[in-house]
Amino acid sequence: MSRLTIEMLFPEVANLHGDNANITYLAQCRPDAEVVRTALNDRPAFLDRRVDLLYLGPLTERGQLKAIDRLQPYRRELEARFDSGGLTLFTHNALEVLGTRIRNPEMGYEAQGLGIFELETTLAMMGRYNGKVMGPVTELPDAQPIVGYKSQFSMVEAGSGIDGFFTATRGIGRNPSSAVEGVRRGGFIGTSLIGPLLVINPHFTRALLAKLDPDTEPVLAHEEYAVKAYVERLREFRDDRRWHDGERVQKPIVSR
Amino acid sequence: MRVLLAVWAAKLTGGVLRALGRQGTHVPGMIARRIHPGIIGAVQHPPRVVAVTGTNGKTTVSNLLAEALQGEGMRVASNRSGSNLAAGITAALIAAVDWRGRSRADVGVFELDERSGRLVLPGLHPDVLVCTNLTRDSIKRNAHPEYIAWILSSELAPDTTLVLNADDLIASSLGGEGNRRVHFAVDRLPSDTTSPVGAALDAMTCPDCDALLEWDHWRFNHIGRARCPSCGFSSPEPAYRARDIDADREYVVLDLDGDAREARLVNDNIVNVYNQIAVAAVLDVLGVDRDRIVRAFDTLAPPTTRFASERIGDALLVRLLTKGLVGVACSRAFEYLRSFPGRKAVVMSIDEWSERENEVENTAWIYDADYEYLADDTIEQIVVGGHRRYDQALRLAIAGVHPSRIVTLESETEPAERVDVTDADVVFNLHSVHNALTTGDRVQARLRERLGARTGERG
Repeated sequence: MSRLTIEMLFPEVANLHGDNANITYLAQCRPDAEVVRTALNDRPAFLDRRVDLLYLGPLTERGQLKAIDRLQPYRRELEARFDSGGLTLFTHNALEVLGTRIRNPEMGYEAQGLGIFELETTLAMMGRYNGKVMGPVTELPDAQPIVGYKSQFSMVEAGSGIDGFFTATRGIGRNPSSAVEGVRRGGFIGTSLIGPLLVINPHFTRALLAKLDPDTEPVLAHEEYAVKAYVERLREFRDDRRWHDGERVQKPIVSR
Repeated sequence: MRVLLAVWAAKLTGGVLRALGRQGTHVPGMIARRIHPGIIGAVQHPPRVVAVTGTNGKTTVSNLLAEALQGEGMRVASNRSGSNLAAGITAALIAAVDWRGRSRADVGVFELDERSGRLVLPGLHPDVLVCTNLTRDSIKRNAHPEYIAWILSSELAPDTTLVLNADDLIASSLGGEGNRRVHFAVDRLPSDTTSPVGAALDAMTCPDCDALLEWDHWRFNHIGRARCPSCGFSSPEPAYRARDIDADREYVVLDLDGDAREARLVNDNIVNVYNQIAVAAVLDVLGVDRDRIVRAFDTLAPPTTRFASERIGDALLVRLLTKGLVGVACSRAFEYLRSFPGRKAVVMSIDEWSERENEVENTAWIYDADYEYLADDTIEQIVVGGHRRYDQALRLAIAGVHPSRIVTLESETEPAERVDVTDADVVFNLHSVHNALTTGDRVQARLRERLGARTGERG
């Protein structure tokens, strides 16, 4: 067993919606893990040393702009990390930081992202979207889909050829007209889902632990409760009565 | 004419609803807004208008303010018996005018839902707006406190005087350059620390240079007094301060812009100490004589609290409203629970009922709550009931509660039967808002019975 290093980028501003529990839980699954917390004014650790998992969580709108500003000098290093298989997880609106543009007309700004992915984000500050999402991932059998929640101001339009984290079988993906949720490239996974993802999807967490350290049998912390909670949630996610019109993928306006 | 039409329609509807035994504090406002969407601004206001908003304490502050101003002999228009949304404020404004649309009140005190600022503030145009605090609330509705601050600041007129909490770096910076701001605060308490802990930490960085802030004293979430070690930024200086709090003697010193006065402490919960100094600050801004401000607290009734305790034999039974979906509120309840001395047993059923049948509750909020307060050796058992029991149990385990102390049951009321009360000094009944009258009442009754039986056996 080699000691894992997990780097959390900017946890003092990227900590909304309880999502930092992704890392708390992962670290409890691997009690030997070192968690490095990199502040806004610090140099990211992944530039200078081996980091097994790089994580960025949900940000305020102002926090998004700060994250873009701080990561801009390391755009190439981030891209190289993704392409070389360096495991990286961005949740909620952190993914948008890596896109080409973020538009927020109500707050009166339009910002360039890092431009690693061809993603254009538009925020509707008076139209927060809340919903559920479910879909299978390549790491797991179809019987163990990802389950999660969206609670966000933003919708994302993606250029062609950008692989999703998964394709939703229920709920919307990057935007109301797409079932493709999030982004995957090399070792990078970006998803808008909160929950937190790794806490409410223990099978996926186990698969991630196996990727992080192929030589060690993954062990889930508090496995009994984690699996029971997943089974119960999945049962409810499979219940048609619990899905609403706003959670259906709509046809794009041009094709209606 | 359209204004009068809206006023008449609202008054008639209100009269009919009251005759039917209903409150009539929301629907009349809805109807008036439908007839005249700008009615909040068009209807005649009382000569002075105070709006009270914030995440916690707005009901208490607006009620205390209304009571104190009535004590000054003023006719007060308020929405204290109605809703704090646009319709409720509309109904309250209309109730305060006569059939010819002329205001009959001397002052208006309106509690304002912080997310409704966009619909209300442009028309209401308050002379004074007090913001008690802005902390995290419902993820689905309120997103994060900076968002709420943006809504409020976007809609504030530059001539509104702002009475703000200096110990809250988000609320304290509300408004624009033109707004006059006065700040209130509660001086350092023995229980304060200098190191923030917990899941819901906002405003941890300097707004000017992004450096991590240092804390002269930190209380909870982002409440406390901070400064930047890099650029010299610091929390605003409060003109109004509560200090020397003595809960046993019900005593507090209220420093009113350098003029220190001894006053009765209305309630010793820290949130209510903030509420009291906020009320004093607003009354001072409104020009109420300072002697009378202090005397007003002699008679003001303590606010309704979210807990009740009863002694049964040698045990204490404590009922604690633990507002599901709002992590910050739960953290305060858990922290309070832990502060009780002695061995504790806990019954906890805090699922969101409204999402039980036709939704799947988004439980992300439980990771915004500090369940770590419950990982304490004096808490010997936590029996979790309800639909989301495994999510709750997992959260407790992640927080460090030993699995041997966690029991899960599908029923929300069965935990009252199963909790081990044999040796507990304090037994807690934690329920949420929507299940208060069902689960909360039944669990309370059963725990009361069991503790009564325990007392009888011990004779």
